[in-house]
Amino acid sequence: MAAVDVQSVRKIYKRDSQEIVVLDGLSLEVPEGEFVALMGPSGSGKTTLLNLIAGIDRPTSGKVIVSGTDLTTLSEGPLAKWRSRNIGFIFQFYNLIPVLTAVENVELPLLLTKLPRKQRRERAMTALKIVGLADRSHHYPRQLSGGQEQRVAIARAVVADPAVLVADEPTGDLDAKSAEEILNLLQTLNSDFKKTIVMVTHDPRAACRAHIERHLDKGVLMTTVERHDVAAPVGAR
Amino acid sequence: MKYLPYILKHLRKNWIRTASTIAAMALCIFLIASLQTVLAAFYGTIDTAATDRLITRHRISLAEDLPMAYEARIGAIAGVKRTAKTNWFGGVMGSSGGQPDMRNFFANFAVDAEPYLAMYPEYGLTDADKQAFMQDMRGAIIGPALAEKYGWKIGSTFQLESIIPPYRADKPFEFVVRAIYSVDTQKYPNHARDMMLFHWKYLYEKTGQRAGVGTYSLQIANPSQAAAIAKAVDSTFENSDTQTKTETEAQFVASFLALVGDLGLILNAIGMAVAFTILLVTANTMSMAIRERRTEIAVLKTLGYPSALVLALVLGEALVIGLLGSGLGVLMASTLIGNLGSIPGLQGFGSVAMSAGLAAGMFAVGAAMGLISGLAPAVGAYRANITSMLRQV
Repeated sequence: MAAVDVQSVRKIYKRDSQEIVVLDGLSLEVPEGEFVALMGPSGSGKTTLLNLIAGIDRPTSGKVIVSGTDLTTLSEGPLAKWRSRNIGFIFQFYNLIPVLTAVENVELPLLLTKLPRKQRRERAMTALKIVGLADRSHHYPRQLSGGQEQRVAIARAVVADPAVLVADEPTGDLDAKSAEEILNLLQTLNSDFKKTIVMVTHDPRAACRAHIERHLDKGVLMTTVERHDVAAPVGAR
Repeated sequence: MKYLPYILKHLRKNWIRTASTIAAMALCIFLIASLQTVLAAFYGTIDTAATDRLITRHRISLAEDLPMAYEARIGAIAGVKRTAKTNWFGGVMGSSGGQPDMRNFFANFAVDAEPYLAMYPEYGLTDADKQAFMQDMRGAIIGPALAEKYGWKIGSTFQLESIIPPYRADKPFEFVVRAIYSVDTQKYPNHARDMMLFHWKYLYEKTGQRAGVGTYSLQIANPSQAAAIAKAVDSTFENSDTQTKTETEAQFVASFLALVGDLGLILNAIGMAVAFTILLVTANTMSMAIRERRTEIAVLKTLGYPSALVLALVLGEALVIGLLGSGLGVLMASTLIGNLGSIPGLQGFGSVAMSAGLAAGMFAVGAAMGLISGLAPAVGAYRANITSMLRQV
C-alpha cells in the first residue's frame, strides 16, 4: 500500500478576481518507507503539495490519501486529530516555541494524548536522544544553534511516532555542516525507523539523499529520478 | 491543567507587558471594589434600619434643634411607645495646631439613655453595664472597635471637644468608659462597632442648658402604622414656629444619604467607564500578543491542536491575566478599606470591610473582563488558516 497517494489533485488559489492554478491534476504515489524529494523552481507547487499531504491544506479537487485515509473527506476537527497521529512536520525555520525548552517543545504533540506527564517527558527525552540532543533538553531555542534547533524540531516531529514525515526545505536555513547532520538524521529515520519521508528541497545535495527525486514545474510532475544506491548516512548508528 | 505551564510561560515571556496589563486590570477592580464596599456600607445602614423606629427632626434642617417641650407631646400621640432625645455631638479627641484632630474622630451621640437603649437592641449590653452607665453622668458606652483602637477599658477616661459651636464648653467634655457594647453580627451585620454614646443630660448641663434636641427617636407599637403616626407627629407641630419632619429610620437614613446616592451613581458611572477603557486596552494588548505569535499558532495547528484548543489556550492566557488582576485589585481594595479608619476624616469607615460576596464578584468581573478582552484574538486564532499564517512569516 502506498503511504501517500495523491490522485489528480488540482489546487487553485484565488487572488482578487484572478485564479492561480498551483497544482494542475497532479498525481503522486509514495510507497511506505520511501524517502522522496520534491524539487522544482519557486512557485512550482512543491510546498503546496507538501501541505496537502500533511493535511494542513485542502485540494480544490482530487483526492489525497495518506496512510489509508482520504484527507479530503475529513472535516477540520478529525483532520487535526489525524495530523497529530500520522504526520510529523519539519519546517524550514524550525518553528520551535521560544518560551519552551527543547524537551517541552518536543513534548508539545504528546500533550494531545492521554499519556501521564512522566511518560510524556520520557518519550520526549527518547526523541531528543535519537537526534543526539538529550544533553540540551533544558535549553531554550535561543540557546541552540540552527542545526540543533532543527534537530529538536525533528524530535518534535517524530515523538508521536507518525508514519509519515514531511519536511519543507529542512536544510534551507542551515550551513553545510549542519545541513549534512540533518540529512543524516532524516536518512536514519527512514532507514532505521522506517519512516516515510517526503521532503521539499531546492538543494540537489539534499535531494541526493532521497531514494526518489520528483521534479515539479508549474504544478505538474515532470521527471522522476530513482536511486537505489543511496549511501548510508554519514556517522549513522 | 497540563496546558497551564504553557500559558504561564507565555505570560512570563513579555513580563513587562503582562505586569502592566495585570496592573491596569487590578486598578480597575480596586476602584470598583472600593466604591462598592463603601456604598454597601452606606446602604447597609438602610437595610438594617428597624421598622418600628421613627425619627423626628426639624423640618428645615438637621442642624436646627427641636424644643425639649416636644417630647411630652410626641409621647402622648397614640401608637408611640417611647421617645428618646438624640444629639449628634461631633466630639473630637485632642487638637492639632489649634484645630480638632480629625484623626481621632469617631461617631458620638448624646442620648436619653434609658429609652434610647431600650429601643436600640443593636447595642449589646448587660444589665450591669447599663446600670454602671446610668449611675455615672460622665459615663460613656463605647464600641469594641474604639476599645481596641485606643486600648480603653472599663474605667478609662478620655476627653472630647465638639466641632459644633453650641456644644462647646469652656473645657472639653470628660468621659469615663462605663460599658463596651457588643454586636451580634448575625442579627445586626452592619451595626457600627466604633460608636460612642453618652448622657444627653450631661450635654445639656455642660453647655449651660443651651443645647436643644437634635432629633427625637420614636419607638412605635405597630410598624404598619408608621406613616399615620409620622403624619400625626408632624400635624401636631404644623402651626408652630418649629415644624417637624418625621419619617421611618430607613427613610431618615436614606434622605441623609440622598447625596451619597447621587454620588454613588456618579462613582459607579466612572467605575464603568474605567472598566470599559481597561477592557479596550487589555483587548488591544491581547490582540498584539497573539498577532506576534501567528507562526506559533500555525505550528500548534500543524501539530494537530484542534482550533477549539487553540482558542481555549488564548482565552486561558486572558483569563489568568483577569484573575491575577482581580486578585491584586481585591487585595489593594481590602488593604485600603481595612485602613480607612486611620485616614483623617474617614474614621467613620473604621468598621467597614469588604464582603466575601463582593470579593468573589470582583473575581468574576476580572475573569469576565479577561475573557472578553481575549475573545477577539482567540476567535482570530480559532479561524486562522495554517498555510496563510505560515506564509505571513
